Amino acid sequence: MPTLVGIFEQPLLVAQLAEKLRGRGFSDLEVYSPVPSHELDYAVDDRPSRVRLFTLIGGVLGCITGYALTLWMANDWQIMLGGKPFSSIPPYTIIAFELTILFGGVLTVIGLFAVGKLPRFKLDAAYSARFSAEDFGLVVRCAERDVAEIDTLMREHHATEVNLVEP
Amino acid sequence: MTPPPADTAAAMIRPAPLRKDSKVNRDLLRVMEGFSFGWFTLLNVSVAFMLAAGGVWIYQVYKGLGIAGYAHPVFWGAYIVTFVFWVGIAHAGTLISAILYLFRAKWRNAINRGAEAMTVFAVLTAAQFLGIHVGRIWKSYFILPYPNQRALWVNFKSPLLWDTFAISTYATISILFLYVGLVPDLAIARDRATGWRKALYSVLSLGWQGTSKQWKAHNRTVLHLSGLATPLVLSVHSVVSWDFAMSIVPGWHATIFAPYFVAGAIFSGFAMVLTMMIPVRRIFGLEAYITDYHFENMSRFLLLTSIIVGYAYAAEYFMAWYSGVEAEQTAFWLRAFGPYWISTWVMILCNAVAPQILWFKKVRTHVPTLFVLSVIINIGMWFERYVIIIGGLSREYDPAVWGIYTPSWAELIIVAGSFGFFCHFFLLFLKLFPVVAIAEVKEIEIHAKEHPGEHWDHAHTYGEIH
Repeated sequence: MPTLVGIFEQPLLVAQLAEKLRGRGFSDLEVYSPVPSHELDYAVDDRPSRVRLFTLIGGVLGCITGYALTLWMANDWQIMLGGKPFSSIPPYTIIAFELTILFGGVLTVIGLFAVGKLPRFKLDAAYSARFSAEDFGLVVRCAERDVAEIDTLMREHHATEVNLVEP
Repeated sequence: MTPPPADTAAAMIRPAPLRKDSKVNRDLLRVMEGFSFGWFTLLNVSVAFMLAAGGVWIYQVYKGLGIAGYAHPVFWGAYIVTFVFWVGIAHAGTLISAILYLFRAKWRNAINRGAEAMTVFAVLTAAQFLGIHVGRIWKSYFILPYPNQRALWVNFKSPLLWDTFAISTYATISILFLYVGLVPDLAIARDRATGWRKALYSVLSLGWQGTSKQWKAHNRTVLHLSGLATPLVLSVHSVVSWDFAMSIVPGWHATIFAPYFVAGAIFSGFAMVLTMMIPVRRIFGLEAYITDYHFENMSRFLLLTSIIVGYAYAAEYFMAWYSGVEAEQTAFWLRAFGPYWISTWVMILCNAVAPQILWFKKVRTHVPTLFVLSVIINIGMWFERYVIIIGGLSREYDPAVWGIYTPSWAELIIVAGSFGFFCHFFLLFLKLFPVVAIAEVKEIEIHAKEHPGEHWDHAHTYGEIH
């Protein structure tokens, strides 16, 4: 399947072109960007990142673990300390708080790995070091009959270069 | 079939190779190149300090804590002072990375990486002191809740347990934060490196390509880690302060301790960032990236937190007097005029008085003065913990059990070694990882190119994050 790589200087152009391409039914798109760019977040995919689900699950799990751990341990072998109740919620809240953060943070990073499909052991054929310099890349996989149309569109959107990978 | 356009047909294999790398990449990756004589000298000095401390520590494990200056009634000495000092230093990185991120303060971009790295190294340094202080290092795992034959569990009502959880959570989260931020920059380094560096960065960059899916997940992750780290950074030094405030030692048992410690931690952390980043900027010629504007903003933070710390000193004295508790009053009187008066006045002069010169813009923009001031603040903040801990323990309720503590040679060597421990990590980091966040600096530049005329610090840049 032909893969076209258009090279751009500004993220906004990539975002506009990606939207147009998707409107015309080209859905097999990929964007390479040297910087985090709000404009490009939704270029390929409209849905919000699922990383947030991971954070939520981690946080809730951590909170439950924190209280469960402390309450169970304090009651498993009861030792009276300073006349305080065995199940003292205020001090255990500190442990629950820390574990909420710990589990939430660790699961967020696991979410980054899962959602961002990391680690990858092989870089894409269309990827090049210029996408870690200053260029933005828009990759379109399309049928052979559409190559010319996409090429024209890319140039209309001020692509500095259009390349064909794996013809 | 429509034939491909003529000029693309010529370049059919791959995108044309990189012809000219971006200036930001070249400038910031250059920091990692070559190992200069000065760098080696500093590394050797740091490692020498570290090894000396390691040797003394092994001797201490063999001989026992007797070689430390502990003497009745002071059994928390220079080790705990230095532990609190390093935990405090560790606060600037997360503050800059997380809190300033949430506040959309774009000026953090040039200094966040260095500060985050410092955070990680300072936490690691602090953690050493828990092991050094407990004496019987082979039993230090008793602090963890692990199943054991006696079916005993740890005491979750003790602030020391809270501290275990707070510090280990903080260490984990700050390492994750640093690493997540590094991944795109490691990919930049990977694409340009050769030899062993290529192999190292290929593994560490996890195959990052900067696809929109990866960036979207990355932005989310950074946002959530910031959200989690913000309450965490405030909690860590609060918990450390409760190690003291939860006991009934005069001078410790105060509700002001948590905010007082947190402000002090941010204060000392920013001072340490200045102490480290001013020479780094000068040596590696990073003036275009870390500008006087950054240093000025940091010195404003110093001024603000200095005022909070100064207020806390005053509030402590006021409360001691106003409480009418004789032990409190005596403890605070003896702080200023007792055997530890030098430490107290060093603390007040360095932390509350000296930073007041930052009211003048001339001082805030004069980098050598800032450097000297940051060192003064570091010294003052070490003494603050010394005053609180030693001053408190040596003068408790009953004059019959008052005593004097002086740090022993062993403690002083180990304290000096901790600076070597911290610095050698930082020096290695400088040569192995980008000390300025390349992608984030580039983000500002590309944004400025796309929206010319708009102020680069404008909140619009980060209107929304998804």
